[in-house]
Amino acid sequence: MATNQGSFSVEDMKNVQINIGAVVKEADEWDQEMGPFPKPGVATLRSWDHMIANRYKIMYTPADDTCTLCTYGPCDLTGNKRGACGIDQAGACGKIVLIACLMGCCAHAAHGRHLYHWCMDKFGDMKFDMGDEILVDSPLYQTIMGSKPKTFKDFNEGLYYLEEEVVQLLAATHTGQESAFIDFESKALHAGMLDLLGMEICDMLQIVAYDMPRGAADAPLIEIGMGTLDQNKGVLIAYGHNLAAGAEAMIYAENNNLWDKVDIGGVCCTAHDLNRIGLGNGELKVPKGIGTKPKVAGAMGWWRKMIRSGVMDCVMVDEQCVFCDVLADAEKRKIPVIATTDKIMLGLPDRTNDPIDAIVDDLVNFKMPGVAVLDPTKAGEIGIRVAIAVKPKRAEAKIQNLLTEEQFQEGIKKCTTCNECAFVCPPHIRISSLIGDAMKGNLLSFSNMYEVCVGCGKCEQSCPQGINILDLFEYANRQYIKTQKFKMRAGRGPARDTEIRAVGAPIVLGTIPGVIALVGCSNYPNGTKECYDIAKEFVDRGYIVVTSGCMAMDMSLYTDVDGKTIWEQYPGGFDGRNICNTGSCVSNANIGDAAIKVATIFAHRNHRGNFDDIADYILNKVGACGVAWGAYSQKAASIATGCNRLGIPVVVQPHSVMYRRTFIGRADKPEDWMVIDARDGKMQQIEPAPEAMLYIAETKEEAMVEMAKLCFRPSDNSIGRSIKLTHYCDISMKYCGKLPDDWHIFVRDTKDLPLVYKDQMMKELESKHGWTIDWKNKKFISGPLRPADVSFDPTNLARKIRTKK
Amino acid sequence: MAAEVKKGIDTTKNPIPFEMAQVPGPEQAKCYMPKVMGAIIRKAKRPLLVVGAELFDDPIMFDKMIEMGKMGIPIAATAHSVKGFVDRGYMTDVYQIGLHPLTNYLRFPDYMGLDGKGQYDAVIFMGIFYKFANAMFSALKNFNRDIKRISIDRYYHINANMTFGNMAFTPDDYHDAVDEVIAAMKK
Repeated sequence: MATNQGSFSVEDMKNVQINIGAVVKEADEWDQEMGPFPKPGVATLRSWDHMIANRYKIMYTPADDTCTLCTYGPCDLTGNKRGACGIDQAGACGKIVLIACLMGCCAHAAHGRHLYHWCMDKFGDMKFDMGDEILVDSPLYQTIMGSKPKTFKDFNEGLYYLEEEVVQLLAATHTGQESAFIDFESKALHAGMLDLLGMEICDMLQIVAYDMPRGAADAPLIEIGMGTLDQNKGVLIAYGHNLAAGAEAMIYAENNNLWDKVDIGGVCCTAHDLNRIGLGNGELKVPKGIGTKPKVAGAMGWWRKMIRSGVMDCVMVDEQCVFCDVLADAEKRKIPVIATTDKIMLGLPDRTNDPIDAIVDDLVNFKMPGVAVLDPTKAGEIGIRVAIAVKPKRAEAKIQNLLTEEQFQEGIKKCTTCNECAFVCPPHIRISSLIGDAMKGNLLSFSNMYEVCVGCGKCEQSCPQGINILDLFEYANRQYIKTQKFKMRAGRGPARDTEIRAVGAPIVLGTIPGVIALVGCSNYPNGTKECYDIAKEFVDRGYIVVTSGCMAMDMSLYTDVDGKTIWEQYPGGFDGRNICNTGSCVSNANIGDAAIKVATIFAHRNHRGNFDDIADYILNKVGACGVAWGAYSQKAASIATGCNRLGIPVVVQPHSVMYRRTFIGRADKPEDWMVIDARDGKMQQIEPAPEAMLYIAETKEEAMVEMAKLCFRPSDNSIGRSIKLTHYCDISMKYCGKLPDDWHIFVRDTKDLPLVYKDQMMKELESKHGWTIDWKNKKFISGPLRPADVSFDPTNLARKIRTKK
Repeated sequence: MAAEVKKGIDTTKNPIPFEMAQVPGPEQAKCYMPKVMGAIIRKAKRPLLVVGAELFDDPIMFDKMIEMGKMGIPIAATAHSVKGFVDRGYMTDVYQIGLHPLTNYLRFPDYMGLDGKGQYDAVIFMGIFYKFANAMFSALKNFNRDIKRISIDRYYHINANMTFGNMAFTPDDYHDAVDEVIAAMKK
């Protein structure tokens, strides 16, 4: 067969099988050169990972001293002993960490894969268009893959890449494969990076397909809270993370004019995504503005409280973060359940191919507690019809949701104060004390602890008297449930390029003291209000505060003295003294995206296939800090690990010790804090900034002090460092009553000193730390680790040294 | 001064992890009587008292910790607990540091301590959120066994070497037990 390059004739061919390999794409239109590492493999970025792990010591807190993964076991690894296969405790911990990160990564990637197929089926191959204000439209994809997706189909390449890497990583966890803890962590960092990619693919697909806001600082304020669900209508709850079925339910309600008969409430991240639909300015294939019609019932941590409160008539579950006893809880209350994805089928019969009328009839008449319907359109219609039709049936059945006064009294009288419940309660609520107060007629203790209770139900499992403790909480808080009505800003999507241009220099120089990203779910060590307190502290101080997922929901439940939620108090731009809700869990990718965009839009760094270069820039120059103050899931582990590989430190709450591994530096080892000055290749010692990559704080107060510190970067100019030191010291003074012990190591020049503390600090530097000071000229003669140098160009990559020609 | 000491508080009862499912493996902490704990702490060459934010829930414990500090034991005030010491005007050898970075340092034999005088041979945990303290004990148990892990908290700490049994629901006995520890340290 004669062929010219790139084409051939098929006219004369008979009985020929044609196998098409990779299709060579049209000439590249991207003006950036390809970086060194497009589609990095498992070991490609290993040297970057080892740099992180050598500076930020891998610290394990084993939850288990044994290994039980193979038939050699159980092996006792206490004291870092080796098991029968030869792995030591550190290696065994690293293996579990990698598996956890893979779980998280796969949850998002599989979500993306489902959305990809669903969107292609429903909408066809759409142009990937993020609008005129977001031209750097898929920063993680471009940085990792080295290519730009132009249509939905192009995302398939990213998903294929991701899926292959995940298989390779999971293979490494088999007994007899990887054993070195540092390489398990390199692989975990790889999984984390893949997770960022999977999340971005998910969010970009749904933003375009469902015409969600593309960086809308003025995204509408929407209703949140159990009290927003209209009890005069059938209430359908869409619970989970994948919008497909919930969106179909909304479209069915819209097309059939049923909004006066049904209310849709989202729980967990599905709520965010339903409330973003049709609010963008792109190609519209869904009803315009429909995203303002459903309500946000609440975060996943409220689930067991919601289902006990009696606010719902039908539940559709999709994927991720769904409590495993959802069916049992729903069946007890005659709430039909519809499982809508193959990831969570709950043992229910697969009725995907059955007639809708038959399924509705079965559910409405309680012939079965639930069904699996894997066609989102069908599931959506069934959900709406069941919610409307079952409401009167449930009323007829006189389903009791809340306890009566007599039942409540009966319940509390059973308590023998054995305190078994306290031994299993994650936030250590002394439940017997609450019951003791209730016996005296005081329900305030139950009310005060309602938001502290994470709704896990372990207390009920352990109670030898069989007291339904969560029901006691519901009874005591029945008034609050009715009035839980607040406002939250709908997910706005990514930062716009223009926003990045405006804040790029202030972030890198430090005059915007930092970007604080509050992400994750709702199991806080001391109640949901802590996320509001943290956000408020930093937005008030002029930081850029970004949030997403359940964190964004929970901080909406509190108001200032004027009755305004945090979304009503501050604008929603990506700017200082603003607070952005980027959207759902997968919208966390937008936070990494913003950091990459600072490097590429502001600093003109080539990001194409250039992950370690961009991460190096972020680590040294972008003062961003994540906080997962309540996360429970493996997804949180992989998101945090992905942020770490990208050079973004993260602070987590004390329950996060269950993730087993942290990255934390040794400030006492100067040799750990050496970087290259890219101007001339000389090594330069820097202050420990940022000091940790993954830091566990015991209290919100400690977290806030640490977050301010983790925004320091070697590139800060003196004005920026002074501003950052001011906040670090102010927050420490506010919550600890004193300046932090280590403030002096961040001082390079007198101009770095916060004005308010300057005289006190100068004296202390001389008297306590032995610095010599030229008092007349107010200059340091000796003392600082290094001088302040505005053109200092720190890097950890030798290839970034600028050679003189 | 410690309150008048009642003799013989039995601190060896209820050796059940305060988070009941925290059962890590074959090596588990033993419960000791207060006077034994006090004697062990007294004999330590480089002890470090590590206290957390739960002290704010039972402020009298700040006074007891200060009493121990006055016996020459440096105090690592984790979380924001340092405020309790500031408010009481006691800052001698009190260091503000997170439990996480502190434990990270403690893992390494070459750590020179908060005062630069050398690694510690015993850490005494007190007033720290249970799960957090448990995990940090685990880090030391598995990765630096040269430091003795002592808990004088009101919980049974399974990853410590020496601990009380659970006294979370008997605060008076617990206070007396800590006073007994202090008294034994003075002998």
